[in-house]
Amino acid sequence: MQALIAALVLGCTMLITPFAFADEQSAEPDGGSAETKEDAAEERAAQFVGVRGPEAESVPGGALMLAAYAIVWALLFLYLMRMRGLQRNTAEELERLSAEIRASGGS
Amino acid sequence: MDRTRQSGSSTAWSLISFATLALFAVTLYTIFVVAPVEQQMGIVQKIFYFHVPSAYAMYIGFGVSAVGSAVYLLKRDPKWDALGVAGAEVGSLFCLIVLLTGPLWARKAWGVWWTWDPRLTTTLLAGMIFAAYLSLRSMGNAGEVEKRFAAGLALFGLVDLPLIHFSVQRWRGVHPTVITGKGGGLESEMYWALGLSFIAFTGLAVLLIWARASAERQREQTAKLRFELMHR
Repeated sequence: MQALIAALVLGCTMLITPFAFADEQSAEPDGGSAETKEDAAEERAAQFVGVRGPEAESVPGGALMLAAYAIVWALLFLYLMRMRGLQRNTAEELERLSAEIRASGGS
Repeated sequence: MDRTRQSGSSTAWSLISFATLALFAVTLYTIFVVAPVEQQMGIVQKIFYFHVPSAYAMYIGFGVSAVGSAVYLLKRDPKWDALGVAGAEVGSLFCLIVLLTGPLWARKAWGVWWTWDPRLTTTLLAGMIFAAYLSLRSMGNAGEVEKRFAAGLALFGLVDLPLIHFSVQRWRGVHPTVITGKGGGLESEMYWALGLSFIAFTGLAVLLIWARASAERQREQTAKLRFELMHR
């Protein structure tokens, strides 16, 4: 089994090697000089810098404004719902207590 | 006498509600139709007309909470405690509005959602102090000790309010100062939109504090009744 795997790896290596050399040779006539290789390396990102300042990218002002006004109304609505819930709970509790008083014969 | 007072209170409530609703309609018209679009920032500047009055309503809420708490500490009357809770809750609501609408404006104006500018930082601090107050009060039925401790917290929060207001003038920051003494001002239509919005938000803050304090008093009375029934 081990011999079979070794043979497979060797076979694959022998198959790939000519293609790898072919790539290297075809690349050399276009930009074979050391200077071109250096340029390619310089183009590669060496660091990531965060965006700073409003001019770095265009920000959709209309969408931001709509979002702001929507947030205001949504929060106010949610707060009114919370107050409604609070008052409903109090009313239910009062109803329950009244029933208890009636059941115990109180006035 | 009590019924007359209740009727007067109901009439005042209806009047303020109607006036606030009408004012909001006029304010929105003035903001979007009458007031011009700002030259540098464009349409996103219109956030300003709700953002600044929300901050003002936050001051009202937190201020009322501190006054209610101070009087409660002196008199131990539950109605002042209810006012303290209502002010803290409504103030926190407007503080949340300020802290959410501000970054939307900042993203366009400064290129970032948040920066540790003195005014932003002190506003966040006030929000956190009153969030602590509300957390303390939301732990079941708050007892006398919790109420007094929360009242002290509201008074501590009050100290932060002038810091928010004067931070722009005292410390260097990036927050705009267009309507303060050193600011360049606004165009007359912009002043109208902002002025109307200030009045509308004052009405809204008063209504919300009123309703919440009333609900809190009823909740407190119900809890007291339940306690008495249990120990009868």
